[in-house]
Amino acid sequence: MSSDAPAATIDHHFDPTTSTGIPNKKILMWAFLASDCMFFGCLISTHLIYRLHPPPGTLAPRQVFSIELTSFSTFILLMSSLMMALAVNAIQKGNLKSMRWSLLTTIFFGCIFLGCQVYEFRNFVFEKHLTITNSILGSTFFTLTGTHGLHVLVGVIWLTGMLLYSFTGRLTERQAIDVESMGLYWHFVDIVWIVIFTAVYLLEYI
Amino acid sequence: MSASATPAPAQGHELEQSMFWIFVQIAMLLAVITGLELVTVYLPFMKWILVSVLVVLSTVKFMFVIFYFMHLRWDRAFCTIVFFIGLVLAAGTMWALLKLFGADASRPLPVTLAHPPAIAPGIA
Repeated sequence: MSSDAPAATIDHHFDPTTSTGIPNKKILMWAFLASDCMFFGCLISTHLIYRLHPPPGTLAPRQVFSIELTSFSTFILLMSSLMMALAVNAIQKGNLKSMRWSLLTTIFFGCIFLGCQVYEFRNFVFEKHLTITNSILGSTFFTLTGTHGLHVLVGVIWLTGMLLYSFTGRLTERQAIDVESMGLYWHFVDIVWIVIFTAVYLLEYI
Repeated sequence: MSASATPAPAQGHELEQSMFWIFVQIAMLLAVITGLELVTVYLPFMKWILVSVLVVLSTVKFMFVIFYFMHLRWDRAFCTIVFFIGLVLAAGTMWALLKLFGADASRPLPVTLAHPPAIAPGIA
């Protein structure tokens, strides 16, 4: 809390107990996300490099991808980001009920995204016969989108844990940083998908 | 960013109140940009123009999410610096790898075995 702020108001963007003025949990999360950027950067590069020189006779991604499904997934993930931002906003105002509804909606959207991804993978493997081992496209595509899907799954589990924790009565406005850190992770998953959607899917349609 | 990191209490309260509508408007904007991206890939323009448009639109979406949804706009500049270190390193690595492997010299050679492995007796 800043020195000139009223005692009842918590400044969620400043922590006087740390030398940086930033809560340690927030710095930890930003540092982790910075490292995850490099991780996903390498996975996306690998996919794009192999797409530069596709071996002859392999499936064209355009024959495999369903742009309608992917666009729907993208929209769902964007909306889940909105609900996550509203959840953080609610807990920062001490509105626990609103935060729970926002978290529940975020979990719901996250599950829809995962469901779409499972459907897409099943379709690729059983109908298009594209697997992680039978082509370079399959190897890079499944590794990249599968890793992202795993991040979404971790996010959904974390969100569910936080939602359950909120019913113990120990989650108040003072612990808003816990929800905010989780929110940073969830938004990161969204921004990675923004890049994947363009680099992996849309570029194939040009 | 650092200037707006510690707003006065009254300003901070107003900011909290208006946050809801800011987030809703940004989400709508992101959905519209996604729609524009979809339309863009079907436009009959040169490839480099379409790729540039897609990169710009994705970057706009990316920036809106990190600065508004992830609160970088209101947080201390140090958070932005920490994240951008990772982002710049990742972008630099991607750029370097794509340049290296995009060169003609990096094109994979056709598979021709000069010395095919001898088949051990009994295997064939």
